[in-house]
Amino acid sequence: MIMSTVKFSSVSKYFGSVCALSQTDLEIRNGEFLTLLGPSGSGKTTLLNICAGYTQPTSGKVLIGDKDITDLPPRLRNMGMVFQSYALFPHLTVKENVSYGLQARKIKPNEISQRVIEILRMMQLEGYENRQIRELSGGQQQRVALARAMVIKPEILLMDEPLGALDRQLRKEVQLEIRRLHLNHPRTTIYVTHDQEEALVMSDRIVVMRQGKIIQSGTGSDLYERPDNTFVARFLGESNLLEGVVSEVTGTVALLDVPGLSKKITGRAAKGLKVGARASALLRPETIQYQSGGIAAVVLETVYLGELIATKLKLSSGHEVWTRRLAGEFNHREGVEVGWDETRVSILPDVSHQQL
Amino acid sequence: MNGRFTLNIFVALVAAFLVFPILAIVPVAFSAQSFIRLPPESWSLRWWGAFFQDASWKLTLVTSLKIATLTTCVSVLAGTAAAFGISRCSPRSRTLLTGLFLGPVMVPTIVLAVAMYSMGRATGMVGTITALVIAHTMLALPFVILNVAVSLDSLDQRFILAASGLGAGSVRIFRTVTFPLVSPGIVGGGIFAFVTSFDEVVLSIFLSGPNVKTLPVRIWEEIRLEYTPVVAVGATLMLLLALIAATMNRISKNK
Repeated sequence: MIMSTVKFSSVSKYFGSVCALSQTDLEIRNGEFLTLLGPSGSGKTTLLNICAGYTQPTSGKVLIGDKDITDLPPRLRNMGMVFQSYALFPHLTVKENVSYGLQARKIKPNEISQRVIEILRMMQLEGYENRQIRELSGGQQQRVALARAMVIKPEILLMDEPLGALDRQLRKEVQLEIRRLHLNHPRTTIYVTHDQEEALVMSDRIVVMRQGKIIQSGTGSDLYERPDNTFVARFLGESNLLEGVVSEVTGTVALLDVPGLSKKITGRAAKGLKVGARASALLRPETIQYQSGGIAAVVLETVYLGELIATKLKLSSGHEVWTRRLAGEFNHREGVEVGWDETRVSILPDVSHQQL
Repeated sequence: MNGRFTLNIFVALVAAFLVFPILAIVPVAFSAQSFIRLPPESWSLRWWGAFFQDASWKLTLVTSLKIATLTTCVSVLAGTAAAFGISRCSPRSRTLLTGLFLGPVMVPTIVLAVAMYSMGRATGMVGTITALVIAHTMLALPFVILNVAVSLDSLDQRFILAASGLGAGSVRIFRTVTFPLVSPGIVGGGIFAFVTSFDEVVLSIFLSGPNVKTLPVRIWEEIRLEYTPVVAVGATLMLLLALIAATMNRISKNK
């Protein structure tokens, strides 16, 4: 059994004096599907390129298992890379593209054609062997790119926003396909995206990055239910953030004094929360519900989303919050009373008020 | 609508102005008369016969083709290598080198011709195919370099990264990715080089000798002695070749 763990040890990358990636430590387990999630300029692609060997880190080491590969050129790394625009060779056919890596490895021709046929079948590309790349649809090109990366049986699979060029419907299908493929043939995978939905659907673990730093890592539900700060809360899912001052922290519970609200908001205390500091209460839209005797609110706007209705409420405190309920619950009432499930509220330090 | 009509007329006039003098030479080549007159009063192929029965005309055509082919080979090899070299330079030396290579095209041809002639005299090379090939290469090389450089610039670096990630070494990458993707630029540059050499007159007049003479030089000499339609045959042949080159260039670009 090959131990295809990846370990970034104090890795950083500077372009001149510009920092693309601050000193970063990260380990990816064998067979884990890890997503680097962040806005552009967060360093996620830099980290991926360092892993692939396309970018030389300014400092630090990259290890596969216990082998240091920092100075190994890309062609000796045995990694499969799927590029954002696929980078399929335009002058070669589907078959020639897919067999490229096998030919470079000097594998016997009959084994090459066998493996190519196998992978094309797996990718549902049978019958497309002799097509030119430009004759394929975006979804088909995407699958060829994946086939070309996987046919070499890479230790690590790297993907750089591979679904960006696909339309929404196709993107959803391919997400599930990649997930299914991963569950059937677990392979250490690093996936880069700025799309939170993509990250949630496919990943075993998500690493949220910002300005060249890792902000938080964990499973999708870790990040959604228990974000460490307002940046993560905003980046994953919809969020209502009510600003206030921390009045009390006891163990894992904190109280937030929000101007205008008569009652302090109780919630899970995020890491690093200090009494007296500014912080925000995170109320996910689905946790806000109709509750008689709750806070008075006025309905400002409703948006029909199919199975759900999003409603914008103005609380008596002046705060505006979005809710998401099954269709029919608020029913265009002008005045309502609302509350929320306290066990699902988080009190988060506000990243915009501190240097990250 | 009226403005559009006027514009079309104008465009047609400009096109006629540009093309008509060139096309006028073609009917003359098929004239039955002994002198050039437009339009010819009767038609024949007698001047084509005269052209191809005259060993000296045929020889100049063969010499021209030989020189153009050699020039193409030399400038494609050197120009492609130069373009690859330049693409790896720092931006500053890239500008410098490009300027240097484009020099011969910027310098007035007559200056170049005088310089080449005095060099040729000094080395005893005037009137040799080698001298003409060297001179033509100086003019043809920039076209190859520019064409290949454009192809190289538009080559997506991710193809190279993808190939190296798939395990290919630099030789394999060049053979299977870089070269095939840049080859339309090389072909285009080669066609330009061929045409540049084939219809070059000024340098050729200076460097031709009694035994080595190109077709345009012969046409120029002929027209000063005898004003016969055989000159038009030579010109029509050159036009035909230019047309073939332009078509080949289009085909290679569209592939």
